[in-house]
Formats: sequence, structure tokens, C-alpha cells
Amino acid sequence: MKRTWTIIVLLVAALAAGCGTKKGFEKPGFSFGCPIGDAKVSSMEDLVRLKVVHEGKRTTIEATEMRCTMTGDLHKVDVNLNNDSSQVKRITYKFRWIDREGMRAWEEEVWKPLLMYENSNLTLSAVAPTNKAVDFRLVLLSQE
Amino acid sequence: MIDLSRPPRLFVLPLLAALALAAGCAAEKTRYGDARSVETVTNQFGSTDLQMIAESMTRSMLNAPVVAAGDLPIVTVQEVKNKTSEYIDTRTITDSIRVELQKSGRVRFAVDAAAMDQQIEELKRQQSDYYDAKKSAETGKMVGAAYRLEGNITSIVKEAKGVKDVYYKFNLQLWNVQNGLLDWTDEKEIRKTTSK
Repeated sequence: MKRTWTIIVLLVAALAAGCGTKKGFEKPGFSFGCPIGDAKVSSMEDLVRLKVVHEGKRTTIEATEMRCTMTGDLHKVDVNLNNDSSQVKRITYKFRWIDREGMRAWEEEVWKPLLMYENSNLTLSAVAPTNKAVDFRLVLLSQE
Repeated sequence: MIDLSRPPRLFVLPLLAALALAAGCAAEKTRYGDARSVETVTNQFGSTDLQMIAESMTRSMLNAPVVAAGDLPIVTVQEVKNKTSEYIDTRTITDSIRVELQKSGRVRFAVDAAAMDQQIEELKRQQSDYYDAKKSAETGKMVGAAYRLEGNITSIVKEAKGVKDVYYKFNLQLWNVQNGLLDWTDEKEIRKTTSK
């Protein structure tokens, strides 16, 4: 009987430790490491919807995942793009960096051309140009 | 009966109007564009290539330990060798990189070899009798760079059956002047294909 109780206590402790680690990983105002401010983000889809902006002709290429981290005092972003069509797609993209006051932290980046093969995934990586940039948007524009 | 030697007035007027319209259409039209949009007028080295290289190199260099440490390393810009078959003003590329790095506030730049003559000239001018000696810049106070930035750009061009493929590779290196060690390097590749 004593042994059973010990096992139960150990299991509960392990579970609590696991939950504790997960909670500690996400700071308030962040989701998947990315800054979200006061926005409500409960899933990866919410985060992608919050951070990805389509301009001009809408592309069928979708951002499916996004993760952020800090390298020194600069934000680093990894975005997974997916082309699930059976055609090669061409888009251009840029990141917009936003400061603490919601203003532009940096001038507009250059539109960068990107070719995506049919049924393929690709990861975009970007590092903020300045530590004043505390938030960002990924802007996509179709070139079709 | 219609006299063919003299076109009727009914035809002349629309013809003149059509000519006037055509002349209007042929007139040049100038508009401002987006300086940061993708430019694909030809497959020669263009503004988009320059801007992409500058941005890519700057962001990479900001992550280099010598820069990320926050010690404000002093850098001097040396030559970027153009090893392509076309004319590229490589100074424009290094100027853009310097602008972005300086704006980031993580690097300081010492006067480079190209601007040294002007620097010495100004120092000499301030040392002349025309200036207040107390407020003039002194000689022997210039700060030497701890790092030098140099690089090269190469290209491979292939053309066959109406298809022209151009591949550019831009390589940039940050060398430690004191010990001669390479502290950071990165490269950016660009491929452009034109088909008729």
C-alpha cells in the first residue's frame, strides 16, 4: 500500500514539474517566443494570423509556423512557409519592425524575392536590425 | 459619285483626331516608383541585388560575437573586389552596409583609406594659423580600426537557347587588424534567369 502511494506521489510530482516547465517557458506577452502584447493567442494559427500581413495580390503561400527567440538583445524570427499547390510560386516578402510605442523601429526593408517549389516548405529567418525592435510583422506579396 | 482624289471632310476629321491620340499615347510618362520594390528590368546587377546584399550582410554581422558583445568595435571599410564580368560600383554596396551598421549603433567606423586624404587635408587646414589653436583638432589623435571589412563579388553567367542565367556570390569578411584572424564572414547568393 505504501509503495502504491509513493508511486502516485511521484507521478503527481512529475506531472507538476512538467507543467511548471511549460508555464515557465512562455513569458507573459509572448507566444511561441514571439511578442504578442495584449493580443489573445491560443494557438499557432492565432499567432500566424496576428503576425502575417498580405499586401497587394494575395498569395496562396501560407505561413504555417512561427517561432521567435532572442540572439543577444535582438529578436530572431523563424517562419515556416508552405506551398501546397502543384505549381512553383513566386512571392516577395519583408519584415516590418515595430518599436515599444508601436512605431516603425526601422525603415522599410527591401522586398525580397522568393521562389517556392510545388508542395514544399521553406523556413525564413530574420534578425531584427536594432534592439529597439520589440515586435514585427511578416509582409507577403504575390509575384504571380 | 465620290471623288477619290479629294477625301471627304467626314474622313479627314476622325483621321486627324486618331493621329492626335496616337501622338499623345507615344509621349513619355514618368512616375515615381517604390525604391525598395523588386527590379527585374534586366538580369544585370540591380538595385534589388544591392539592397538584399546590404541587408543580409548587416543582419548577419550584427549576430557576429565581436559585434553582438556590444563593445562598439571600430571598423574600417576596405575594398570589395568586383570579380564579375560587368561593371558594379562595389563602393555603393559597402556604403549601404556601413549605413545600416552605423544606424544599428553597434559598430563605429574609422576613416578608410579612400577618405584618408580628405581627413589629413582637414587636419592640416585646422592646424594652420587661420584657426583658434584651442578649438582645432589635434594631430596624432585619430583612432585606428580594430577590424577591417573587405570582400568580393563574383558571378557565373551562362547563356543558351534564349536562356540567360546569372549567379552572383557576394562574400564579406571582418578581419582582426591586430592578430590577423578572421572574426566573421558570410556570403549571399543570388540567381537570376531570363528567358526569351
